[in-house]
Amino acid sequence: MIEVTSLRKHFGSVEAVRDVSFSAPDGEITALLGPNGAGKSTTFRMLSTVIEADAGQALIDGVDVAADPLEVRRRLAVLPHDAGIYARLTARENVRYFGELHGLDRATIDTRLSGLIERLDMGEFCDRRTAGFSQGQRVKVALARALIHDPRNIILDEPTNGLDVMATRGLREIIRDLKAEGRCVLFSSHIMQEVTNLCDTLVVIDEGIVKFRGSLDAFRTQTGEDDLEEAFIALTTLGQS
Amino acid sequence: MSGGWRKALIVLRKECIDNLRDRRTMISSFSIAALGPLLFVVLMGFVLNNALGESEEALELTVTGGEHAPALIDFLSRNHTELDLKAIDDPEQAVRNGDESLVLRIPDNYAERFSAGRPIALDLIYDSSNFGASNSTFRRARGLLSQYAGTLGSLRLAMRGVDPAVVQPLSVQQVDVSSPAERALMLMSTLPYLLILAVFMGGFYLAIDTTAGERENKSLESLLIQPVSRRALVLGKMGATGIFGMLVLLLFLIVFAFSVPFIPFHKVGMRLDFGALEGLKVFAVCLPLIVLAAGLLTLVASYAKSYKEAQTYLSLLILIPTMPVIVTQFLDLERTWWLMMIPSQSQATLVTQIIAREPIEPLHVALSATVTLLVGALFAWLAIRLYSRERILG
Repeated sequence: MIEVTSLRKHFGSVEAVRDVSFSAPDGEITALLGPNGAGKSTTFRMLSTVIEADAGQALIDGVDVAADPLEVRRRLAVLPHDAGIYARLTARENVRYFGELHGLDRATIDTRLSGLIERLDMGEFCDRRTAGFSQGQRVKVALARALIHDPRNIILDEPTNGLDVMATRGLREIIRDLKAEGRCVLFSSHIMQEVTNLCDTLVVIDEGIVKFRGSLDAFRTQTGEDDLEEAFIALTTLGQS
Repeated sequence: MSGGWRKALIVLRKECIDNLRDRRTMISSFSIAALGPLLFVVLMGFVLNNALGESEEALELTVTGGEHAPALIDFLSRNHTELDLKAIDDPEQAVRNGDESLVLRIPDNYAERFSAGRPIALDLIYDSSNFGASNSTFRRARGLLSQYAGTLGSLRLAMRGVDPAVVQPLSVQQVDVSSPAERALMLMSTLPYLLILAVFMGGFYLAIDTTAGERENKSLESLLIQPVSRRALVLGKMGATGIFGMLVLLLFLIVFAFSVPFIPFHKVGMRLDFGALEGLKVFAVCLPLIVLAAGLLTLVASYAKSYKEAQTYLSLLILIPTMPVIVTQFLDLERTWWLMMIPSQSQATLVTQIIAREPIEPLHVALSATVTLLVGALFAWLAIRLYSRERILG
């Protein structure tokens, strides 16, 4: 469960996030949709405790991000935008490293690793060094790395970036699986299509402000558009130029 | 062991494994450890052998037209020369070609002009662009010839009833205080400089790879999201850099210990014993410097925005710890307690003392270690501060 209330963050004179509030319940997929530079990644970085909010509050399973960042990190899996992995380590070593940093014992890591390798279909390349991996393989390693501590809440920042059709389809399956397990999944995208066949709740964000929050049906009703992409463009600054 | 330390160890181990697999890190780290002592041995051997060459070895001199001046040839051969008497048509060309290095040409009219008491022109043909032995042998040959001419002149004056001292208002003696042993000692004093360089070079690429490299690799954000304190992260990365510095220093000392017997110190009546005990002492004295080096390298590499920028900064940076060593060499400072307050200088001084087998004051060692560790801790603290800022993500 992720709850965000009136988050704000500026970098110098740039107001990256002005006022963002939403909640992402367990067992649901929540999508943060917005054009490039809308404040999606900044919002996620505040949730993942790597940057501090100027104002507002963010709770992960009721734990305040600002008050107990280490506890929040234990409850959270984060796949940052364009996440890099260690090229000279094998896929397995990459995941194991993060498991160890979470304080997991060897047996737990091994069990979870074999589960993740099967689930993400990594068997073919899990013992190879990751230098030269395809984008699809790299995302899988980064995802396995993020999930090794079996967290309830999962944040994915534009996870399908650079993936081909099949890899995107595979990732969608994984996201649905995570939802089916009752986890809270929050992911961001700048492509409407990607959001429509995946999310339960849609949060449209633009210029650091939430423009819409609700189900896809509600989105159609409110905008009065059948074409969701047109509705998205009309709602954001993309339609003003 | 508390959780923070265990996590620092996890980071340390990962960075070590990661970099042991990186050829660039390995080459840059370990080449100085392997090549530094070897270069040193070669240089020392060169200095010692060259110094001895001047005084001990016979002067090799080719003489053309020697039959015209038997008395001169006799004088030369009595003065520690190895003469090669032969007729050469074009000695200049022979020297130019490199067939001969030094040729003395005695003209056909030598005996005739000698009897008449007239000046005789002798040619000493050499190639000044040919470095090495040629110039020093040329000076020796010219010296011998001047000596012979002086003796002849004095004899002639004496026969005419004139005191030869009249035409020698000045008598210049050459006194070279720099014995080969002293020259060798001066070269020895560059050893601490090499050691300190090795300590810094050992962790050079590791410091960059674990900080600026991790950011450029875009894995830093994922790492910062883990439930690990920034202090544990930085200390783990610093530790890996320190371990490489330690390994390189250790390898340097081992290679050095094995190379020392090949330095021809016995030729100048010197002895240098560098065994396991001296090696360990040097290693122990340098340990605090490894901590400082790891802290400084990590701090500056973390500050840099990119891998390349870090490389540029660190290349300049590793000159700094060698500065005091170079400066104080010219100042010839006494080995007092305040010298122990300067990191890298204090280690250089102590290492010199260990090698020279001079007594070492425990207080000096303690002072050197304390100050160096404190400065190292300051760098580490600054690096942790740097990692606690949001801007570390770049």
